[in-house]
Amino acid sequence: MEVIQRIIKQAGRFFQHSLVSRVVQAALVSFFLLTIVFFLLRLIPGDPAMVLLGENASMGQVEEYRKLLGIDRPPMEQYVDYMSSAFRGDLGVSILRRQSVVKIIASRLPVSLWLAGSTVVMVFVLALPLGLLAAVYHRTWFGTFFRVTTSVAISTPIYFTSLVILLLLAVKLDLVPIAGYDPEFPKNLRTLFAPALTNSILLAPVLARILQASVIDTMEEEFIEAAIVRGVKPFRFMWHYLLRPSLAPCIAALGYFAATVVSYGVLIEIIFNLPGVGMSLIEFIRAFDYTAVQGFVALTGLLVVATTLLADLLNAWLDPRANLQ
Amino acid sequence: MSFAVTLKTLNREALCGLVIIVLVILLGIIVPIASPNNASGFVADPLAPPSMSLPFGADHMGRDLFVRTFAAARLDIVLAVLGASIPIVVGTFIGVLTGAAERKIAGALWDALINAITAFPEIVLVLAIITMIGGGWNGLLYAIWLSRWAQYARLARAKTLKLHESEFVQAAKVLGYSRIRIMTRHIMPNVYSEAIAYALSDFVFIIVVIGGLSFLGMGVRPPTPEWGGMLAEGRIYLQTTPRLVLFPGAILSLTAIGVALFAQGLARHRKEAVR
Repeated sequence: MEVIQRIIKQAGRFFQHSLVSRVVQAALVSFFLLTIVFFLLRLIPGDPAMVLLGENASMGQVEEYRKLLGIDRPPMEQYVDYMSSAFRGDLGVSILRRQSVVKIIASRLPVSLWLAGSTVVMVFVLALPLGLLAAVYHRTWFGTFFRVTTSVAISTPIYFTSLVILLLLAVKLDLVPIAGYDPEFPKNLRTLFAPALTNSILLAPVLARILQASVIDTMEEEFIEAAIVRGVKPFRFMWHYLLRPSLAPCIAALGYFAATVVSYGVLIEIIFNLPGVGMSLIEFIRAFDYTAVQGFVALTGLLVVATTLLADLLNAWLDPRANLQ
Repeated sequence: MSFAVTLKTLNREALCGLVIIVLVILLGIIVPIASPNNASGFVADPLAPPSMSLPFGADHMGRDLFVRTFAAARLDIVLAVLGASIPIVVGTFIGVLTGAAERKIAGALWDALINAITAFPEIVLVLAIITMIGGGWNGLLYAIWLSRWAQYARLARAKTLKLHESEFVQAAKVLGYSRIRIMTRHIMPNVYSEAIAYALSDFVFIIVVIGGLSFLGMGVRPPTPEWGGMLAEGRIYLQTTPRLVLFPGAILSLTAIGVALFAQGLARHRKEAVR
């Protein structure tokens, strides 16, 4: 008996501290996430088919819509069906377009990916030097300046920031177009500049702050002192000694960034009139396309869970010690 | 760790934030009452420029932009307080309860549920809930309540689990105090101060979300003055009369910045007090 207990205990410890547990956790979270999404449709007061079709619909039409929405069978059966098809990568069919939700979203993906990509580049270019400077000079006037300006930038609502940027760059200076998107490669960067800049004004301060706090912690370490005494060259010192050991918290925040980019994307794509994924959500909502909204929510939720898992794995790979904590 | 901070000991940041908040709230109360103009009354030519009687000018329908901006302040702040108050109570309660239960498997399931809710991109989830239950300010509040409690539950759960290992809780257990007594007397007070600190920064977020959803036409409906809705209406006139966007947007941002500064100052104050 004692041996068995010891084995169970050891297995438990292995489980707790290994990457396997991260993967299992992510799977469990995804399961709950899909369950929540399944129940989302049940929040609709009354009969969604009746709501959609109006009062003049015939019984036959209502029955057909109930079948399309998947609410014509007992709830338990629906649930099992939903989960099993979600497991196979099928997150539902748009009731209006009679097309797979995943396919509709995939067709809108390029614009959003270009926006996300240019945002990431801009955020890194802004946040890395800012965060480093703010950490090194955090006791001087620059630290105070950094703290105040970042909290102003973070707190300003994105839909106001983007309108101010449009006013400055498009109306006053006429540098960028006021709205619209050009799908061709080099030209699209001009249309993406303003939205990506808006995103970066809100995201770069968050990253810079995480980096600042982390670098300040790193600076207390002994190897920093040793490096200064040994006279390590400035560039090498910055990269190898200050930045690299401080990256873990930034990577850990990847999931948060993914969620925020999607959230902001919805607002930004509407304001700058970019035909991306976020705009498709608003189109679904305006058309009361319940199943498409459901699929959209599931997809973005899973994206965040996957990004968080990826960040965990990346951190464990970069720093094996993180695994043991 | 107490929240009884006197004005004198507050740092500049927190004081600055507090002044902004009080100013916006006062103006939000006084302006709509004291002004002769009604928030939805047509008092001037459309897009009339600012003057003595109309400090911010008139909007695209000839309504007093000044009165509308501060009537919106009242509504938005009340909605944000309502939006934050239920999640903080319910979420913290659930977090403490599940944290103190000391059940491993149930705890893991709660963790998964909380992580699942917090995984959704916030605006997407709130939008989806509103699509299902219907818009308007009440739909907006339900959606915020349904999605926001998980943040507080996560925070309270983590703190409770940590407190359970601390010496004073262990001592209380050894003394044979009941579970309920330990929870209410020993754990709750410590969790609550942290939850309130988080609620302050959450408040900024909720104001921004309320405005954002109304901006998308899914929250408070026009003609009720609301910051996000006003920005959406004024957006069309960005090229000709940008003040329709700039005035309400500036007051909205100022409010959010004020609360953020206050929260940040208070957090620093607490950190220094602990030291």
